[in-house]
Amino acid sequence: MTAPALSLVNVDKRFPGVHALTGVSIHINQGEVIGLIGENGAGKSTLMKILSGVYQPDSGEILIAGKPCTFESAADANRQGIGMVFQEQSLLTNMTVGENIYLGNEAQFTRYGLVNWTALYAAAARQLAKVQVDVDPRARADTLSFAARQMVELAKALTLEEHAGGHLVILLDEPTSVLEKAEIEILFARVRSLKTRASFIFVSHRLDEVLELSDRIYVMKDGAVVADLDAADADTTKLHQLMVGRSLQAEYYRVPLQRPFRDEVVLEAEGLGLGTAYSNVDFKLHTGEILGIAGVIGSGREELTRTLAGFAPHDGGKLRLRGQEVRLANPAEAVDLGIGYVPRERRVEGLVLFLSVSANITLADLASLTRNGLINASEERRLAKSWVERLKIKTPGISTLCLNLSGGNQQKVVLAKWLQAKAKILILDHPTRGLDVGAKEEVYDLVRAITTEGLAVILTSDTLEETIGLSHTLLVMRDGRITHRADGSPGHKPRQVDLIGHMV
Amino acid sequence: MRDFIDRLGSDGMRQWLPLATLIILVAIVGVMQPVFLKLPTLLQLASDTAVLFILATGVTFVIMLGGIDLSLQSMASLSSVIVALTVARFGYGSFVLAVAAGALAGFLSGIAHVKLKIPSFIATLATSGVLFSTALVISQQRSITLGDADRSYQTWITGNVAGIPNVIIIGLIVLAVAHTLQAHTRFGRYSAAIGAGEPAAYASGVKVDRQKIFAYVLSAGFAALAGVILAGRLSSGSPTLAAEMLLPSIAAVVVGGTAITGGVGSIWRTLVGALIISVVRIGMTFLGVNIFAQNIVFGVVLVLAVAITIDRTKIPVVK
Repeated sequence: MTAPALSLVNVDKRFPGVHALTGVSIHINQGEVIGLIGENGAGKSTLMKILSGVYQPDSGEILIAGKPCTFESAADANRQGIGMVFQEQSLLTNMTVGENIYLGNEAQFTRYGLVNWTALYAAAARQLAKVQVDVDPRARADTLSFAARQMVELAKALTLEEHAGGHLVILLDEPTSVLEKAEIEILFARVRSLKTRASFIFVSHRLDEVLELSDRIYVMKDGAVVADLDAADADTTKLHQLMVGRSLQAEYYRVPLQRPFRDEVVLEAEGLGLGTAYSNVDFKLHTGEILGIAGVIGSGREELTRTLAGFAPHDGGKLRLRGQEVRLANPAEAVDLGIGYVPRERRVEGLVLFLSVSANITLADLASLTRNGLINASEERRLAKSWVERLKIKTPGISTLCLNLSGGNQQKVVLAKWLQAKAKILILDHPTRGLDVGAKEEVYDLVRAITTEGLAVILTSDTLEETIGLSHTLLVMRDGRITHRADGSPGHKPRQVDLIGHMV
Repeated sequence: MRDFIDRLGSDGMRQWLPLATLIILVAIVGVMQPVFLKLPTLLQLASDTAVLFILATGVTFVIMLGGIDLSLQSMASLSSVIVALTVARFGYGSFVLAVAAGALAGFLSGIAHVKLKIPSFIATLATSGVLFSTALVISQQRSITLGDADRSYQTWITGNVAGIPNVIIIGLIVLAVAHTLQAHTRFGRYSAAIGAGEPAAYASGVKVDRQKIFAYVLSAGFAALAGVILAGRLSSGSPTLAAEMLLPSIAAVVVGGTAITGGVGSIWRTLVGALIISVVRIGMTFLGVNIFAQNIVFGVVLVLAVAITIDRTKIPVVK
């Protein structure tokens, strides 16, 4: 038997505060399509980044055709025959298809510093023929449909054949997320016909597609591979169970601590809409309530949360805050009205990483610390210290830069900021993204505590399980509309399958 | 070379590097020319530093939030022209007029930058051109010497209190006001937050545009004040009075340790930076370096200072 085209043996990778990959071993045989699935945070993207040379593993081995090797950089991985087709499309839209295909590899067409464009475009046309796509190599990339661009990326990955010599392994990272059904079929057909030239690793959150395309499937959870099974032996239910890995444990989401919300309505949407993103959204958010919004990418829930945080003002319907009609033109207005936003991009929008813990905690509430135009420094220190104690933020001191904190403690600083600002409504946008299990549980504890104290929460999560576990009330969105509402009180929580039907 | 620069740039060192540099430079020049360490020379040094320090202080506010103001030397020159033209008629009011013109110019630069979303170096470069031409036109392209009567209004700049030149006292007042603004007010804190992480500051409810515009108002306002003082010290106003001061001013800010990328810095650092520039200037004079060649040195100093202070982990791509 020949050695696998590519294998990883006992690969470990740690980041500050997170053990991203634990002893991961996988192998890809020649001409095989491997499916790689797992929840957000399971370690898929770290694994892909190691395979594509962006990260280096802390320990473990990478073998190509049985020979140990290392990838110093993405370019190095390319040279050794690892190609990539990314979900966020990487074509430069201001350049032509041909220029994109040979970007960085123009040397072969260059003499005396001048590029022979005729030769380059002829070569590009040959690459495009491999994936059977009818695209003019001289067309600018931005004139192409998403599906055609995806094919061009595939063609670009196949140019590696010319230098790598050996067998190619092409990573397909969520390649279908921007494609229509028919386009997906075409992509899959091309991938199958290319199996003689290359092996593929297919990452997707759409389990049915993974089942359809893959020969074999790896399931990841909490940074480890938990299952390796033939696609023929799997179905979506089984895969889903493996991904989640446990039956819903009420304690994990602190369900026993879930208190009924009060009658008082703090935020009300009536026929709310924004462009083509979402429309006709109705809901009432009560004091002490966690309102979870479920939906896939493109369902409109992202835009809805951004509207409620003041980033994307609505253009249809009404939004009432404690009975007053409002339109949140920018985050400053939302903050003034008592709305705090805990963003998914914690390190970009959540915290000023290069400011101290105390400056971050007081950032949204400096007005109340200011006397005669001057910030009361001793009061600021006192408040920061008390939040660090109350939320058990692990930091060397309040003047430590937030940069040096772990993800969980950074998230606590973000929460402290809004509690200090006395926010009445918190928009939690994927609040546990990138946190390990222990840190997640601390966040759940905090969220339970603050809602019991009377804050209201709008929640979107990486996992449906988390949304269901935490929420008092659930909204399901699809194509910009609310398709389902469910009660999430303890004992009545819906099952994931009940909601999925309304999501897709 | 890169290794060496990186080592100098490590956090612990970086903070004290400017002050250490200043002390070493003073010691070197003092050894070369013992007269340098005598009180009259030091007072002269401080007086000469005041204008540079005021210019640099203004632009510190802009650099703190990640922008740049290239209009400050044109603003200072225009301000000197305004004083020279109007002091006979308005008396002390001419100084207020000049500083108000500065505030207005800064406001317009800020609006262009923030509302029209133009990079600050373009917005202030354009403002600089407008201000320079305005100065040329209203002065009819000449240097205006102040008459004896006009000079009586300048004693607050040119006089002494107990042997200490007033211009030093003005510099200290600017230091106190600017330091308070930068270190103890919401504006100062928001500037640091915007410079270090604008999206997070915006998401936390900071009115980013307002803070930015105010920083440009301060920058041009301080530049105008510097022009007023320059006019007083030189008893004249001219559209090129502050020419060649842009580079030393920005160099002073960066040499002092304020990050050109924003977020990290202080007025104290700018004071140290301005003193370093002044001592280097005097040292060059002692060494007999042609006065017109001095910007060659400041240009090199600026590049080295940025190379040392910049935090490369923060900015993967430099444009």
